[in-house]
Amino acid sequence: MVLLLVLAACGNGDGGDNGDGGDNGDTADVECPEAPADAGDGIVVTSLWGGAEQEAFEAVLDAFTEETGIEATYEPNRTDYATVLRTRIQGGNPPDVAIIPGIGFLRSFARDGSIVPLDCYDVNADEIADQYVPGMMEAGNVDGTQYAIMAKVNSKATIWYDPSRFSDLGVEPADTWDGLVSLTDDIAGQGASPWSLAAADGWTLTDWFEATYLKMHGVDAYKTLFSADGDWTDGTAQESIEKMYGELLTADNVDGGTDGALATAFVDGIAKVFSTSPSAEMYCCGGFVGGIAASGDVNPDLTYGTDIDWFPFPTIEDGAGELTDISYGGDIIAGLTNREEVAEFMQFMTTVEAGTAWAEGGTIISPLSGVEVSVYPESVQKEAEQIYGASNTVYDGGDLLPAGPDLGALLQSAFRGDDVGPLLEEFQSQISTAWDTE
Amino acid sequence: MAVANPPAETTEASSAKKPGGGFGWAALFFMGPAGLLLLVFLVFPAFYTLALSFNRGRGGEFSNWVGFDNYVRLFTNDPNFLRLGFPPAGALWNNVLWIVFYTSLCVLLGLVIAVMATRVRYEALIKAIVFLPMAIAATAVAIIWRFVYFPSSETGLLNALLGIFNLGPVAFLGSPDTVNWALIAVGVWGSVGFATVILSAAIKGISSEVLEAARVDGANETQIFWRIIVPMVSLPISVVAVTLIVNVIKLFDLIYVMTAGGPGTSSRVIAFSMYQEAFPAGQFGYGAAIAIIMLLMLIPVMIFNVRRFRTEAVQM
Repeated sequence: MVLLLVLAACGNGDGGDNGDGGDNGDTADVECPEAPADAGDGIVVTSLWGGAEQEAFEAVLDAFTEETGIEATYEPNRTDYATVLRTRIQGGNPPDVAIIPGIGFLRSFARDGSIVPLDCYDVNADEIADQYVPGMMEAGNVDGTQYAIMAKVNSKATIWYDPSRFSDLGVEPADTWDGLVSLTDDIAGQGASPWSLAAADGWTLTDWFEATYLKMHGVDAYKTLFSADGDWTDGTAQESIEKMYGELLTADNVDGGTDGALATAFVDGIAKVFSTSPSAEMYCCGGFVGGIAASGDVNPDLTYGTDIDWFPFPTIEDGAGELTDISYGGDIIAGLTNREEVAEFMQFMTTVEAGTAWAEGGTIISPLSGVEVSVYPESVQKEAEQIYGASNTVYDGGDLLPAGPDLGALLQSAFRGDDVGPLLEEFQSQISTAWDTE
Repeated sequence: MAVANPPAETTEASSAKKPGGGFGWAALFFMGPAGLLLLVFLVFPAFYTLALSFNRGRGGEFSNWVGFDNYVRLFTNDPNFLRLGFPPAGALWNNVLWIVFYTSLCVLLGLVIAVMATRVRYEALIKAIVFLPMAIAATAVAIIWRFVYFPSSETGLLNALLGIFNLGPVAFLGSPDTVNWALIAVGVWGSVGFATVILSAAIKGISSEVLEAARVDGANETQIFWRIIVPMVSLPISVVAVTLIVNVIKLFDLIYVMTAGGPGTSSRVIAFSMYQEAFPAGQFGYGAAIAIIMLLMLIPVMIFNVRRFRTEAVQM
């Protein structure tokens, strides 16, 4: 009954807006919800950022208001983001726009019917796809309908190090896996700890796994693995886990050994490399590591390029992934109310102008490849270059999986020395149920 | 979700019947408002939750019916909830650990402290100290202990102590092997005062003639404790134990603030799993199934409680 009403509303109500021109084939099966009756003039955008991230995003909202005259308010929601958002939706009081971390959440909101498809906002995914870094439109596509677009991204293919200490040790960044293995051995041979691993936070291990898997088995295998068709027992996942733990992250190569690493949380892991009393030489993954390392939490005196720098996660000999195939993480933007003001905002967010306004704040990389690298602060220009130069990108697999089964916990167990085969078999059984019941 | 105290209804109904014998309008008039409230806020949500547990419940609404799928999955294919094997793990198992160790430690320590305290002059002070944690909000308790357990000797009190003996630092909350015990210890710290105060009052109620008679007959203090004090306060002990068990089956706040179920999912308890599956993950049907299991665990405790109230009433 509700469905019929919605269809009727879509068909008659605001047909003029909804893609009458040309591509009816695509839009015919998209249901646009009715516009809320008593909405004001402005829009409310919610996300989980505070501090510098919030300031940078508010600059985008200001640019939007200047351009359109529509007042846009940012509502930070720092904790329990999904819970609060879900409660607001159920209570009939959704924000107009939500910037959502994690595609699992997006899928569940999209299938609830809580999110308005982009077509209803007159944003055509096919038309704007070439403005985005290759692969980045895919994240917002749920069951064949484009519900959302990437808002901000970070590379997950960065290995951070201290150039001055590297030159003291007489070593250089590596551009192949084997090179990285010998670099690791070199550092260990001089009595230093090559790697800091924040294994207490399972997601840092999933980033490691994803980067390794991508470089070993390539983009297509990666996308299949992190979809409902993925087979975790086909040997590829096991191969990648054994390669990263067996060749790089052995107990001897990781600062503090197995137990020490398992007790190290994300920021502490960064501090092990970049604090004033460092105990390890390299830290992988995440373009945002630089910003955290240079913050008050770790060491505000770092100079980019001298004390802190990164090199790309290397290719693997005989691996299917290129150096320019990168995994990335990020937040995705979706509209929750079908209003003209929201449509204008969503359209605005796909423009290079919006991307540039955001990029200048320096806390994010815009997925819009038209944003000039030079508008970024110097410390993130290299990351922007890496992302804009990517031949293909894949979204953080850990955030693609449905809720429930814990890949991070599996990788923690494997790091502790448990048998990988049985772990993956159990994981497969859970993950296929989770996909089925999502 | 809909978990509250069923006995309220039962006791009310039975006491209402007694005086007149008939089920008059007056009884209905006085019971009506309470009955209505119970119906709306307890009975209906309970049945709604039950129905939801047989549904996928996407977005909190009835979507498609799945029979017993949610329950089957909980017990056979969700190691976050229950992993059999050795040692077992999962939220359900963690809750069993909590029920066994938290309850027995609270009762035992409460009893020992109560008995000891009656023998010293500064009894009031000791009881005040032990009872003090009860006055602190569970969230604050959790935050205090997060600092105590912090895995560095600069911030963590416990690791600073270990540091004196050149041990540690130990990540008490960071390792699946220690996290549940560390949390249970906090729970005990927070609740032992409750057991102490109630049991101390009960011990005071034991007539001194009984104790003197035992001493005259040659019983030593250990015998007096086990053969006289414990049996004579067995009713208050069971009151305390039942209250603690009910609390611990519903345990949520401590876990949520201290570990959020982590590291990984190794310190989840049933109520936390229920929240996690229903709200952040949006699987309301699955969460409802967990709520029903929680309810089923509480029912035997409640029946025990109600029965005891009845025998008590008869004795009086």
